[in-house]
Amino acid sequence: MTDSGSAASSELRNKQVFTTGEAAEICQVSQQTIIRCFDAGRLTGFRVPGSRFRRIPREELIRFMKDNSIPLDRLESSKKRILVVDDDEQIVELFVDVLERDGRFDVRTASTGYDAGILSQQFRPDLMILDYMLPDVNGNVVCNTARDNPVLANMKIIIVSGVVNQDEIDDLLQSGADDFVKKPFNIERLMSRINELLEI
Amino acid sequence: MNTADPTSARRIELILEQVESLPTLPVVAMKLLKLTSDEGSAAQEVIETVKADPSLTAKILALCKNASVTAKSQALTIDKAVVLLGFETIRNAVLSIKVFESFSDDPEPGEDDLARFSRPAFWRHCLATAIAAELIADQHREMHDLDAGEAFVCGLLHGIGKLALEHVLPKSYQRVIELTEQTNANIAEIERRILGIDHHTAGKRLAEKWNLPHLLCDCFWLYESPFRSLPDVEHKRMIALVGLADLVVRKQHIGYSGNYQFADDVATRAEQMGLDPTRVATAAERIIEELENRTKALGLAETPTSRVFLDSIMSANDVLGRLNTRLENHRSKATRQTKAIESVTRFHANAASSARSLGDVMAAVISSANASLGVGTYAMIYQPSGQTEWQINQYNTDGNVTRSELVEPPPGVDQLTNLTRSNDLPVDWMAVLPWLSDYLMGFADLRKLRLLALPCAWGTAAVIVHDQQTLPPDEELDALAYTWGSSVGSATQHEGARRLSEQLAESNRVLTETQDSLLRHRSLARLGEMAAGAAHEMNNPLAVISGRAQLLAMHLSKGSKDQQAAAQIFEQSQKLSDMITALHLFAEPPQPQIRAVSIDDVMQEAVQLMRKRNPKLPALRFNSPEKLPPLRTDKQHLAAAISELMLNAYEANPRNGVKVATQVDPLDNRLILKVVDDGVGMDAHTLEHAFDPFFSAKPAGRQPGLGLARAQRFVESIGGRIELISQPDHGTTATILLPIVAESEKPMDHAIPAKPSAEENGENRVVDTHP
Repeated sequence: MTDSGSAASSELRNKQVFTTGEAAEICQVSQQTIIRCFDAGRLTGFRVPGSRFRRIPREELIRFMKDNSIPLDRLESSKKRILVVDDDEQIVELFVDVLERDGRFDVRTASTGYDAGILSQQFRPDLMILDYMLPDVNGNVVCNTARDNPVLANMKIIIVSGVVNQDEIDDLLQSGADDFVKKPFNIERLMSRINELLEI
Repeated sequence: MNTADPTSARRIELILEQVESLPTLPVVAMKLLKLTSDEGSAAQEVIETVKADPSLTAKILALCKNASVTAKSQALTIDKAVVLLGFETIRNAVLSIKVFESFSDDPEPGEDDLARFSRPAFWRHCLATAIAAELIADQHREMHDLDAGEAFVCGLLHGIGKLALEHVLPKSYQRVIELTEQTNANIAEIERRILGIDHHTAGKRLAEKWNLPHLLCDCFWLYESPFRSLPDVEHKRMIALVGLADLVVRKQHIGYSGNYQFADDVATRAEQMGLDPTRVATAAERIIEELENRTKALGLAETPTSRVFLDSIMSANDVLGRLNTRLENHRSKATRQTKAIESVTRFHANAASSARSLGDVMAAVISSANASLGVGTYAMIYQPSGQTEWQINQYNTDGNVTRSELVEPPPGVDQLTNLTRSNDLPVDWMAVLPWLSDYLMGFADLRKLRLLALPCAWGTAAVIVHDQQTLPPDEELDALAYTWGSSVGSATQHEGARRLSEQLAESNRVLTETQDSLLRHRSLARLGEMAAGAAHEMNNPLAVISGRAQLLAMHLSKGSKDQQAAAQIFEQSQKLSDMITALHLFAEPPQPQIRAVSIDDVMQEAVQLMRKRNPKLPALRFNSPEKLPPLRTDKQHLAAAISELMLNAYEANPRNGVKVATQVDPLDNRLILKVVDDGVGMDAHTLEHAFDPFFSAKPAGRQPGLGLARAQRFVESIGGRIELISQPDHGTTATILLPIVAESEKPMDHAIPAKPSAEENGENRVVDTHP
């Protein structure tokens, strides 16, 4: 995979509406096949008002691909999405460097609990690395909010903190955190723990 | 007399009922009383009444014969007699005869000899009083409220209450008589004390029952009351006259009245009631003569004048003799008291010269006992203040303790002070003797043992055990016993006070320690806050340093100098972070999780923790000879503390390794765990600061840390403490003393195997952050 190809496929992956040509590329079939299916109603979509161009919404395409057992690789990235939440910029940078160095992760960052809430809704991370002490809310609130959201049901949460208080840790694990890592951390151990949680 | 006592009130009521049930006054007497108190009644009626009673007729005629020589020759009839004598005389004669007849049951045979109420003597007293009252009244004819005839009747009957009481309660009254004779008191007082009621009240009730005139009733009731205190009635002076007559007669020792008290002299009393003392005296001179005439006339007694005098003199002698006996008694009592005072003074002189400790006071008591009771073997039993045990001290004749023993009190007796004092052994003392013999030696014959209780204000202060068979008289013994008892008692109190002040000092010391500890905990709390803040503030940059260093190490070629440097940065930042964590945990240790654990499990955990920190250390020898009971404690805290002690022991370079031994202190029910090394040991300065965080004996070369401070912190958090004993070059013994809590907890807890729970695993990982 070339860099440009990667960039293009990355672009495709994030689109919400697809042309028949794009759908054909994603499904690795001919454009004609897509058009035929669209016209037969097996792949529902809409025509651009005032033209005959067919357009296919993302959800419909995914349904179609699943119905026909077409691998979703090209639509959904194989990379695991990780959201890093910490108010310390340098810590965030460190996590990003560590995670991107691995190459298997798609990393986004947030510096407040509020940002973390919005981003997780959009980005739907597989895993969140959450600093316990945020400027606006504490980690356990973020934990509880995430656990109450069915969309984020499968999101793993690792809490990181410089302060070790066993009672707080117990509370966090109760609130739905999957693990606790103390700062400073051992990178190898952190990575192996992430792999375990994401089952990769 | 306690009239509030319901039983005594009931008793009085019973007595009064009996008094009231006395046979009524014979009809003839009643009738005569009525007739003669009525001025208008005809003489004929009196005559008829007397005639109705033949024996009375005979007596009246006899009275006439005796009274008037001139009448002897004349043929006597009642009619003539009444004319001759006047019906007042008749009335008085009849009353004299009839009233006393109504109490005239003969004494039982055999009782005669007893010192019982002598009726003839009493009757003579009554008659004499009647005569005295009559004579005094006669001397004061100008006073219309004093009628001589009335005065006679009142005087005659004034003591009728005594007769009534004697009749109803002969035995009790005999005691009243005896006691009155012994104490020379007023009989009325003794009556009240023994019977609960005096003859005044009894007389009043009788008068009411017999429907006698108010005058009589009041006379019976109030004749002994001072004139001033008499109620303001028209016959007030008559009442007082009876009292005066009674006094005059008693002064002359005529008959028997039972009252030995002479409150006033006759003249004063006469003046108080407005009489002329001279005329009273004139009247008094004629009493005996007149008495002889009357008794003769009434045929009641054949006592001639000389005999009356003799009787009076004998009676006076008798009183004098009694007075002499009392004086003699007083004198010998005074002698005995003098001896007692001498003994007490000697004791005080001795006791005062020595120090005032309890032991000294008791020694002084014993030497005083040797001097006052006699030389012999003595022992002293007392109860040291605040203790349940009793102490028995045995003494030699010098008053020195030869044997001293603290013993359990005898069964059934707990407080020595509660034992009541008595010269005879009371029942609860009987329990003491057999028990006592177990502890006493040197007494030749235990059967001769005697106890002398030493009383003080709050009971029995101590008991002297002695073998003296002849003791000083009671007064002296009592005085000595009280003196000794008070001395021992106050010395005991003094000792108690001293012990209290010592306890106070001890409490102060503990308080100071607690304050120190509190101060330490306060500074620890501040340290905790600081460490928590530091953990947050420092661990973030440390995380960056450590993370970047790790990333660097990964990028750099393996084994290169730069890569090693990066690895070092990582390691050192990690150590720094560990130290911050340790400090935080030290200041704010997690709450102990109390569970039942076996000491073996704790030791296993401790060894694991130790080897995690220093894997080069050998496995330990662990001596646990006895089967130790399961502990209820926080396994992690205890194990962490033990591991710190073991690490510390190994750092002292022991020649023969480190030994750990456990045992249970049965007295305090606590676990004693010793970690012993034979290494370099500590000097006094090091020992003093051994528990200070970051203190190290070596200025360099040894890693300073929290080791012992942390161990102490953990042990304290589970209620124990650590003691260090150390000498330079002789090694160190660190001892954990941990109370074994609630051994009697549900046995189920003991059955639960002390498996490390998931939480403990988690905690473990956090506590030990070594890679």
